[in-house]
Amino acid sequence: MADVSPTPEEVALLARHAGLELPAEHFQQLVSAYGHVRRMIDRLPLERARDDEPAHTFDPRAFMP
Amino acid sequence: MTDLHFLTIAEASRLIAARKLSPVELTDAYLSRIAALDDQLCSFVTLTAERARSEARAAEAEIITKGPRSRMHGIPYCLKDIYETAGIRTTAQSKLLANNIPARDSACQQRLAAAGGVLLGKNATWEFAHGGPSWDVLFPPARNPWNTEHTPAGSSSGSAAAIAAGLAPATLGSDTGGSIRGPAAACGIAGLKPTYGLVSRRCVIPNCFSHDHAGPLAWTTEDVGILMQTVAGHDPEDPGSLDVPVPDYIGAATGDVKGLAIGVPWQWLEEEIPLSPATRASFDAALEVFRDLGATVRPVSLPPLLQFDDVKRTIAVVELFTLHGNDMRTRPELFGASLRYRIIAGALVRAEEYLQALRHRTVLARAMQAVMATVDVMMLPTAEPAGRLEPLPPESLFTRPSFTTPFNVGGNPALSVCSGFADNGLPFSLQIAGRVLDDATVLRAGNTYEKATTWRNRRPSLVAERYPQQQTG
Repeated sequence: MADVSPTPEEVALLARHAGLELPAEHFQQLVSAYGHVRRMIDRLPLERARDDEPAHTFDPRAFMP
Repeated sequence: MTDLHFLTIAEASRLIAARKLSPVELTDAYLSRIAALDDQLCSFVTLTAERARSEARAAEAEIITKGPRSRMHGIPYCLKDIYETAGIRTTAQSKLLANNIPARDSACQQRLAAAGGVLLGKNATWEFAHGGPSWDVLFPPARNPWNTEHTPAGSSSGSAAAIAAGLAPATLGSDTGGSIRGPAAACGIAGLKPTYGLVSRRCVIPNCFSHDHAGPLAWTTEDVGILMQTVAGHDPEDPGSLDVPVPDYIGAATGDVKGLAIGVPWQWLEEEIPLSPATRASFDAALEVFRDLGATVRPVSLPPLLQFDDVKRTIAVVELFTLHGNDMRTRPELFGASLRYRIIAGALVRAEEYLQALRHRTVLARAMQAVMATVDVMMLPTAEPAGRLEPLPPESLFTRPSFTTPFNVGGNPALSVCSGFADNGLPFSLQIAGRVLDDATVLRAGNTYEKATTWRNRRPSLVAERYPQQQTG
């Protein structure tokens, strides 16, 4: 898998969509941190059965009075 | 007799029940030691000395007339500063909560108070139990009592440092990826991440809902069992709480592991993150102790360690941003740089990616439980001995794999105990993980190991520059 870090321009676009308006110093942190997060996500295996539900599905008993 | 401040919970509670030790005397011993030594350790961020003396006097009066309510009656304890305490500042070490005085107690504090415990104060943590060590947050980071130039690890740093130094016999921490076991390992004490849902997280400031565990730290595994007996149990106000009977954790200290089947994930330890030679030697020696006691050891095979870390960290960064997004958008400068770095990218993760991580968690949890069904416990080191206390590269959270996170992903109970000391005096650690809801077997193995070895006889040699006169009651 190619290890392509997101560019600052790509991160800026995503940040705008997420409602994040950061000072320059914090934006540089975001670019760096997102590169690491992106690599983690790209390593996640994606092939699984359609009916494979996530952990922590809703259990209505937890909300009974 | 052992110095009062080095009594275990089990020893102190026996003396209190026999009217040979006063809770007031014991509380004063800890308060004196905290006053003398904690400027070296920074393990407490808030002391509740007057309240502690008042609770100790009340405990003493009740025990004299009616006997003790529980093994914790009259026993001092402290709490990581993410456990909300009514009327007592609870900061999570963050400038964002500098003036946060909760209106009600966390469920665990309620249970400890109901058992008759004596609250000494609140312990240092990493900011919001996640980012650290930090020098730009509300309080300085805690230090390791075995060598104050070294880290006590995180995030339950102050809790573990206080126990190892004899500043308290009991505390509660929290563990989302290893934050009870890592500090327990670094400080040479016992710390249990219980089965997910066994101990209520109500009014514990969250790190990451889907992986957060509340749990105990103490000098011995026997004491961890006493704390578990006190705080475990269903809480309908915690949606993750399990409605199951609470077993006899205190009775788990049988001293017998004959026939115990131990699994070792060698591919993690030899291929993915090879152990240092000294840690490997310590681990081999620990396994030999169990063999000599009649246990059997076999290899087990699990998915790669990195997958557990990737899944947990992807889920965590999103849940953390969900918790802190409003502050991150409006006042990001109030976060410490370490935590800000570890949270901020959560804003950019797509919902699909978060849910794919949750789906893969299911796969990993199934794999973990399938392996656990073939053995009674799994063993591996908790971590390498603690390094120097210095700022960590902020990206280390995303790049540094951990031996503790798989058991948060699986929800399995996992205990860290001391397994010796390196040449520089810092502790080695042994991690014992068990089947879901079989915390008692994990405690039995840890307790038996501690009794078969001499590691519980050594304490840090902190020296007070000025030592206040200890009150003897």
